[in-house]
Amino acid sequence: MFEILTPLFVSLIVGGTLVGIIFGAIPGMTATMAVAVCLPLTYSLGLENGLALLLGLYVGGISGGLVPAILLGIPGTPSSITTTFDGYPMAQKGEGEKALRIGIVASLVGGLVSLLVLDLFAPTLADFAIKFSYVEKFLIIFFALTVMAALSSDMLLGIFSGVLGIFVALIGTYDISDGGNGNLRLVPPGTEYWLESGFSLLPVLIGLFGLAAILEQAEIGVPKGHSSKDINVGRHARFSFGVFRGQSINLLRSSLIGTFVGILPGVGGSAASIISYTNAKTFSKTPERFGKGEPGGIIASEAGNNGLTGGALVPLLSLGIPGDSTTALLIGAFTLQGIQVGPLFIGNNPGTWDAMIIAMLIANLAMFAMMYFAIRYFALVVTIPKHILFPVILMMCVIGAYTINYGIMFDVWTLLIFGVLGWLFTKLRLEVAPFIIGFILGPSAEIYFVKSLESFGDVTIFFTKSWIAVLLWVLIIGSVAGAVLMAKKNRQIAEEPV
Amino acid sequence: MTFTRRTLLAAVSAAAMVAAPLAAEAQNLPRNMRMVIGSTSTGGDTYQNSAIVAEALAEKLGINIKVDAVGASEGFKALARDKRGTTIMMFHDQSFLGNLYGVTGYADPFADYTVGPTVAINPGNAYLVPADSPYQTMEDIFAAAESGTRVRVAIQPGGVSEIGFTAMKNAARVRAPGSEANIVAVNTGSQSDKNQAMWDDLADVINGSIQANEQFTQLDPSDEKAMRFVWITARPETLEQAPEAGMGNTTRADMLGYASPETSVTLDGSEDFTFDKEFFLLYNKDMDPEIIAAIDTALTELYDEGKIQERQKDAFFIPDFLPSEAAREHLTQKRDTYRQVIDEISSGS
Repeated sequence: MFEILTPLFVSLIVGGTLVGIIFGAIPGMTATMAVAVCLPLTYSLGLENGLALLLGLYVGGISGGLVPAILLGIPGTPSSITTTFDGYPMAQKGEGEKALRIGIVASLVGGLVSLLVLDLFAPTLADFAIKFSYVEKFLIIFFALTVMAALSSDMLLGIFSGVLGIFVALIGTYDISDGGNGNLRLVPPGTEYWLESGFSLLPVLIGLFGLAAILEQAEIGVPKGHSSKDINVGRHARFSFGVFRGQSINLLRSSLIGTFVGILPGVGGSAASIISYTNAKTFSKTPERFGKGEPGGIIASEAGNNGLTGGALVPLLSLGIPGDSTTALLIGAFTLQGIQVGPLFIGNNPGTWDAMIIAMLIANLAMFAMMYFAIRYFALVVTIPKHILFPVILMMCVIGAYTINYGIMFDVWTLLIFGVLGWLFTKLRLEVAPFIIGFILGPSAEIYFVKSLESFGDVTIFFTKSWIAVLLWVLIIGSVAGAVLMAKKNRQIAEEPV
Repeated sequence: MTFTRRTLLAAVSAAAMVAAPLAAEAQNLPRNMRMVIGSTSTGGDTYQNSAIVAEALAEKLGINIKVDAVGASEGFKALARDKRGTTIMMFHDQSFLGNLYGVTGYADPFADYTVGPTVAINPGNAYLVPADSPYQTMEDIFAAAESGTRVRVAIQPGGVSEIGFTAMKNAARVRAPGSEANIVAVNTGSQSDKNQAMWDDLADVINGSIQANEQFTQLDPSDEKAMRFVWITARPETLEQAPEAGMGNTTRADMLGYASPETSVTLDGSEDFTFDKEFFLLYNKDMDPEIIAAIDTALTELYDEGKIQERQKDAFFIPDFLPSEAAREHLTQKRDTYRQVIDEISSGS
């Protein structure tokens, strides 16, 4: 088993993890993009070495997303969106380094838990995953959508923003590859050429979070001679593992949620971190602290999205079905080598299976070592004067938007449009976070809802399909009730005389 | 159209191409070329085949060729924008089937683009049933439809999986008019959605591929994921060129048992319907003919050398090179045949 540990194998994992972290840390670049760029290299490397590189890129790319999410408030990847909710407020309070270390430790735990689950239970979990039909998948997405209520400072406006996000996400073609009819919907006449494929997620994300923030800063203006050095990186806010005291259940639950969501093909990493975050807030004794710099929020988000890494390999290796967009690319590495993944893969290829598990383990440890000890240097990004930092961020955002779909100029326009919209949102008191969650989850919700009705006939199926559906309704109702009680409590506190 | 005629066409065109010196034609080629593919997946057969062809072409022409998985709609747009020849597209029959089925974003490739050379066939287009299905063969499926039983077939509309479904309906209509109404489509998306539809008992038959689904046919029949092939659409002449060992535990002889003439899905009562999923290049309509000629010449030399065929066969593709002109003639005839099938079933049901 350990004869695979050649210097080349280990170097490819470590190198891949480093490149992945860099891709994840640059707004607009993702783990998926890192894997896509390096996929052709794997042809000459051979299967095990090629997978070592790609798995390093995968783990690094997912983990690297927390750096801009915490330091700049721009999610490096869609799955690190919930990391911004508490990470960025902590950075603004001068606890950036502490927040980064919390995220890195949570990422490691999430990655290792999911790897353990993958190694021990992959075929069994794949059998469980196929019990989730359109109905159960819709209810999981619906459960994730309930976070819109919990995240909003004004529940009505928050839910409106979320529904607006869903609406905007549905612009374009009802794609035949999603089981749709291929027809256009919500596309104004004359814009068909550009809006045929709708708005891409990443340009929307970095427009709303990145460009909008820069526009807001531009509006305020940067005083001459002033720099971001007044934002304390956090040398004084020392990190201690004590911050995880009382968080072990959150850590384990979020890791398992990430793993579980990963094994469900099509649900995706964003849903993993959003569901983990919702649960952490719902079960917290101090939910009012979430969104204002609560370490538990970062733990939930990062353990959740890294938990996805092992989980998403379960359906890939046991059913030949990718769990998320990045593992879909990994199939390319197998097919380029003439290897078929499917239910016989693990039994027929024990050497490759062992190599993948070892590669994932080393990638997680390498990610931790590189990020934990280099984080002080990452964190220095906030000390760069804004008049230098912002143009660089803007340039990276534009390059990222242009490259995400292999050079489509409309994606750059999307970035600019949603940057301006994000800036207008603050003027109109609309909320960006529920909007983007609606935008991310809306298309999946639509597909699973429509396909459920097409397949099973009427809406009662959502309540009667299976015990899993009933359990999911309990969670949905619990989450909504928690959000309503929380809103009431906040209102009472606000109305109390000082 | 017969195999002999295609071979003749290929030979004549290839001889004409070889007569022109590659070096003279290649000097006008862009140094960096982008091969967009009609799929967003890098794990599928389109990417795999494109990667093989792009690598071989790049080496032969001494230029860089990068494969980008942009999908059909964006691929066509990119192709339409670029007259310089820096963007070329690799796709398969779905490019004209999508147009015949009226799918959004699919223009007529013969009218709006320049159809280039064919390079390979994926012989794996197949239809499967659950291992415990009462349908052992296609005959059972047609008999069930004739007796009034609805047979649900999971497909992705508007492409390669729908053409086989259309052929099933057409065969049912030819055998027993009216019975085609009992063969109904379950509109799913990707391969995983089709498999899931089977496991959820939403479909009796699914479109799949030998490459993606063969492993499921090797599972113990008691496993709820187990499946069986009932039909492979490829022509027997195509399958006979596949490696004898086949794929996994399904040998070439096994595969031939699921294809015409052993498994018959009639086209008109006398001839069987067959379908080879064929990959070919597409160019901008106004691309420099010299660049097209250079690519034709380079591919002719590559196929003469024979190494590219080995790589394609290793990846379970059947080499199928036809230079541009011969390819256009062949694909136009192919399109017309399938248009007739689609029109007949559309007007008859």
